[in-house]
Amino acid sequence: MNNVILKTNQLCKSFKSGTQEQRVLKNLDIDIYEQDFTVIMGSSGAGKSTLLYALSGMDRATSGTIRFFDAEIASLNSDKLAVFRRQNCGFVFQQMFLLDNMSILDNILASGLLIGKDRKAIVAYAKELLTKVGLTETIWRKFPTQLSGGENQRAAIVRALINQPKVVFADEPTGSLNSAAGKAVLDVLTDVNNSGQSIIMVTHDLHSARRGNRILYIKDGVIGGECSLGKYVSGDRQRHQKLQDFLLEMGW
Amino acid sequence: MYKLWMLASANIRKTKSVSATLVGMFIIAAFLLNAGLLVVINYGGFFNTLKEELLPADVYYMLPDALYTDEVKAYLDGNEHIPEMQENDMLLLDSKIISKGKEQSFNILFNNMDEQREISKWKFVGEHLPAEEMSVYVPDIFKAVSGYQLNDKIQLKFADKKTAAEKTLSFTVKGYTEDIFFSSSDTGFMGFYLTSDTYKKVADIINNPEYNMHVVFANLDAVDNAKTVESGIREILHLNSASLLAADVSSLFVVIDLELVEMARCMMATMISVMMVVFSMIIVIVCLLVVRFRIVNSIEEDIMKIGSLKAIGYTSRQIILSVILQFLLLAGMGSLAGIALSYPALPAVAAVFEQQSGLKWEQAFDGAISSSALFTLLLIVVLVAWMAARNLSRLSPINALRGETTARKYKRNHLPLEKAKGRLTAVLAFKSVLQSMKQNIMIGIILIAVTFAGTFGVIMFYNTTIDTKAFAEVPGMEICNAIAVLNPEQDQTQAVKTIESMETVRKVQYLDEVKIKVEGSEASAYVMEDYSKKESMLVYEGRYPRSRNEITLAGILAERLHKTIDDTVTVSFGNQEDVFKVVGLSNGSSMGGLNTSILAEDFKRLNPDFKQQALYIYLDKGTDAGGFIKKLEGRFDKKLLLGAVNFDKEMADGMASYQNIVAAMGLAMLVITLLVVVLVLYFVISSSVIRKKRELGIQKAIGFTTFQLMNQLAIGFTVPIILGAVIGSLLGAFYTNTLMSVSMKGMGVMRAGFIVNPYWVVAFGAATIIFSYLLSLLITWRIRKISAYALVTE
Repeated sequence: MNNVILKTNQLCKSFKSGTQEQRVLKNLDIDIYEQDFTVIMGSSGAGKSTLLYALSGMDRATSGTIRFFDAEIASLNSDKLAVFRRQNCGFVFQQMFLLDNMSILDNILASGLLIGKDRKAIVAYAKELLTKVGLTETIWRKFPTQLSGGENQRAAIVRALINQPKVVFADEPTGSLNSAAGKAVLDVLTDVNNSGQSIIMVTHDLHSARRGNRILYIKDGVIGGECSLGKYVSGDRQRHQKLQDFLLEMGW
Repeated sequence: MYKLWMLASANIRKTKSVSATLVGMFIIAAFLLNAGLLVVINYGGFFNTLKEELLPADVYYMLPDALYTDEVKAYLDGNEHIPEMQENDMLLLDSKIISKGKEQSFNILFNNMDEQREISKWKFVGEHLPAEEMSVYVPDIFKAVSGYQLNDKIQLKFADKKTAAEKTLSFTVKGYTEDIFFSSSDTGFMGFYLTSDTYKKVADIINNPEYNMHVVFANLDAVDNAKTVESGIREILHLNSASLLAADVSSLFVVIDLELVEMARCMMATMISVMMVVFSMIIVIVCLLVVRFRIVNSIEEDIMKIGSLKAIGYTSRQIILSVILQFLLLAGMGSLAGIALSYPALPAVAAVFEQQSGLKWEQAFDGAISSSALFTLLLIVVLVAWMAARNLSRLSPINALRGETTARKYKRNHLPLEKAKGRLTAVLAFKSVLQSMKQNIMIGIILIAVTFAGTFGVIMFYNTTIDTKAFAEVPGMEICNAIAVLNPEQDQTQAVKTIESMETVRKVQYLDEVKIKVEGSEASAYVMEDYSKKESMLVYEGRYPRSRNEITLAGILAERLHKTIDDTVTVSFGNQEDVFKVVGLSNGSSMGGLNTSILAEDFKRLNPDFKQQALYIYLDKGTDAGGFIKKLEGRFDKKLLLGAVNFDKEMADGMASYQNIVAAMGLAMLVITLLVVVLVLYFVISSSVIRKKRELGIQKAIGFTTFQLMNQLAIGFTVPIILGAVIGSLLGAFYTNTLMSVSMKGMGVMRAGFIVNPYWVVAFGAATIIFSYLLSLLITWRIRKISAYALVTE
C-alpha cells in the first residue's frame, strides 16, 4: 500500500437554500493513496463532485478535516487555498475551462508561470507535455475556440500537469466528448498515472471508471462501498466484469 | 407588450447595482443638460425681458450740476443723435456700508423714487413695505450678497468734505429694486431709492452741492454715437486734459452705455453658463458612451438567455425591443429624476450669478426645455440601444445557446507568454488591454474628457483662490498696491522722491489713463514713461511701445479698426494728431476694450498741457496698503495729494464676486469629474468582472489569488486611465486658456493668460490615476466572492 496523500476526518458539506439545509457529505472518512488512480462514482446528486472539490481545496467543507500530506487544508483561507492549489493540484474539468482569450500554449503557461520557476524550463516542459498528449506544434498557438473538444481536453490535461502536481483532480473529463476523443483523453490520463501521477477522477461512465485502480462509490453522502481493480490493462474483460458487479451491488 | 415589459423588468431586477449606477449616470446627465439649457436659453432671455420692461436708455451721461451748464443742456437738447432723453437729479455719495460683515466702499446714487420716468425705469423685486421716514429701497444685491432683510437698518458712512468729519446716514430697508444701470457694483454705481421727503432730508444732511448730479438718459439714433455725444460734451467743458482717474467729484463725467452694462452684468454669467453647457455636454457624452458599453455588455452576458428566448419562439424584434425598453426605463427614471433635481439646484446657480450681476433670476418649470432635454436623452438611448442590439437578429438560437456572441472573437494572441517579459500578473493585464481595445479606447476617451474638465476646474480654482494675479489682470489693469493721485498743477518731483523712499515702498511709477481718439473713434490710452517697468504684461502679441509714435492697441479695438501689428493709426487729441505705428496687441476690458497704450512723451506732444498725476505705488509683499495710505495722507497736504486709492482693497472687493463664481464653478467641475470617474469606473469594472466571471473563476481554480486577479484587472484598467489622464491633463493645461479666450473675448480678453501651474496639473493628473487605481482595486474586491467552485457548478 502506498503513502496516504489525502485523509479526511468526519468531513461534512451542507448547502443552505433559504431555511432548508441539505447535507451532501456526511461525516466522511477517506484515505487517498499516492500514485493511485482513484475513481469516485455514484448516482447523480450523490455528492461526487462536491467531494472532489472539497478534497482539492476548491470548495470549503462545512466541518471535519482534510489533511494533505501533513498539512490541514480545510481551515485555510481562500488565498492560501489558491497557493495550495497551484503548488499541489492539477484540474481537468468536464467543460475544459480553458481561457478563451489565450492560445493553447498561453493557457498552459499562465498556470505554469504562476509558480515562478524558470520561464525557459516551463516553456520547454509545456511543449514536451503537449507533444506527449498528441497536440502538434501547429495548434499550440491556436485559441480554444479553434480546436475540437478532445484537443481542448488534452490541452487542459497538460495545464493540469504543468506544475507537476501531487494530485490531478478530474471531474467527468470525458463527459462532453465523443467516444473516440474520450478514449484518447483517458489514454493520456492512464499514461500519466502509469508514470506515477496520483489521480482522483469523478465519473459516472463505466468505460472511464475502468481506468482507475480503486473505485469509491458514494451513496447519500457516505462511502457506500469500495472496489480495488489493480493496474489498468487494456482489454482486461475480468476487470470490466468486476467493476460491473461492484456497481450492481451498489445499486448503480 | 406585457411580455416585453416582463423581460425588461426582469433584466433590471437581475442587475440591480449596475442598473442603479446607470440610473445615477442618467441623473447626472439630465441634471447638467437641463440646468445648462435653462441657464443658456433663459438667463440671457431674462435680461432681455427686463430690458423690455424697464426700457433702459442707450446711454447715460452723468455730470455734476455745476458742469451741467446751459451750453451742455442746449447741446443735448438740440443734438441730432438724441431722439429721446430724460433728465434726473441724483445725489452721489461715496460711502462705506457693512456688507458680508465687513465695511465696503460703494458709490451710492440716491434717486427720488417719486419722479416719473418714461425710460430707464426701475421696479421692485420681491416683497416691499410702505415707506416711512428715512426708508430706503436698495438694489436686490444688498439682500442677496450683503444680507439686508426688510426693516433692517442700513448705515452709510461718509466723510464730510468740508469738515473731514465722518458722518453716518441711517436708513431702514423697506424693499429691493431692479434698475438696469444702477443695480450692480460692476457698473460703477448703486441706486438707492428714496421718497421725495427723505431725498430732501438726505440732501440736507450731505449738504454739499458737489454731490448733486445730473443724469441724462439718452436714446440714440445709433449706439455708436454715444462717443460722438460724449466728445461734444467734453469739448464744451474742456474736460480733455483731465486724467480719467478723477480724484475730485466736481470734475466727474461718467458715460455708461447699455452695451457696457449688459456686458458687465451678463458676461460672467453667460461665460459660466457656456462653460456649464460645454461641461454638461462632456458629461452627457461620457454617460452615453457608458450606456452603450453597458448595453453591449448586457447582450453579451445574457446571450444564452437570449438563445433560450429565441428557441422558445420569441422573435428577434421582440428581443431587441425588450433590450430597448430595459434601457429606456432606466434612462427615463434617471432623466426624470435628474431634471426634477435640476430645478431646486438652479436657485443656487442663480444666487452665484446674482452676486456679480445683481440680477434676481427666478426660474420656474420650463416644460419646453425640460421635455427637450428628456426626449433628447431618451432618443439617444433608443438609438444607442437599437444599434447595439440590432445584430441579435443575425444570431441563430443555437449559437446564442452555446454562448457565442456576435461581438467577441479572439483572433490574435497578443504578448505570448512564451516570450513576454515581466511579472505574470502584469503581462496578463497588458494582454487584456490589447484584447479589449474598444473598451479601453472608450475608457481612455472618457478619462480624456473628464480629466480635461477637471484640469480646467483645477486651473480656474488655482487662479481664483491660490494665485489671483492673472485673474486680477483680466480687466487689463496694471496691478499695484496703492495709487497716489497728485495735483498736476503742483511740482510733484519732491513728493515722488519722498514716496519712493518711504518704508515698505518697493517701486513707484506714473501710469495715467486719458481719453484720445484713434482713427476718429473715442478710446482711452494708458500713458507711461517706460513700459518695461510695468508689472502686468498684458500684451499677447507684439510688445508695448518703446520708441517714438508707437502704440499698443487692445485686441477689441484692433479688431474694430481692422488694424494689426505694423499697421499705422491716426491718434488725435483736440486739434493735434499724429500717426502711430501699432507695435502690439493687448488684453483688457477697460472702456469696453477700446483702450491703447502709448508713451508719455508721445502724449505730451499731442497735449502739451498734460501732466502726470496717477502715481502707482508698489509695496513690499505683505504690506497693508490701508495702513500705508493712512501714512501717506498724514504726510502730504490735500493740495498736493488729491486722493489715495487702496488698490489692494479695491481689487479684492471688485474681484470677489468673480472669484466666488469661478471658484465655485471650478470646484463644482472637480466634484462632478470625481463623481463621474467613480461612476464610470464602478460601472465599467463591475461589468467587466461580471463578463469575465468565467475567466476569473478559471484563474482562481488554477491557483491565482484574489489579490493577483484584482491587480491584473486594476493594472489593465490603469493603462487607458493613465493614457486618458495624461492626454486630458495636457489638453487641459494647453487649451484652458484657449477656451477661456473664446468665452472671455467679449470681456476684452483676447488671449487669456491664466496661470497653469504645472505642479497642480501634474498633481491632479497623478491623483486621478492613483485614485482610479485604488478605486479599481476597491471595485475588483468583489472578485473574492467569485469562487472557483461557483464557476464549475454554475
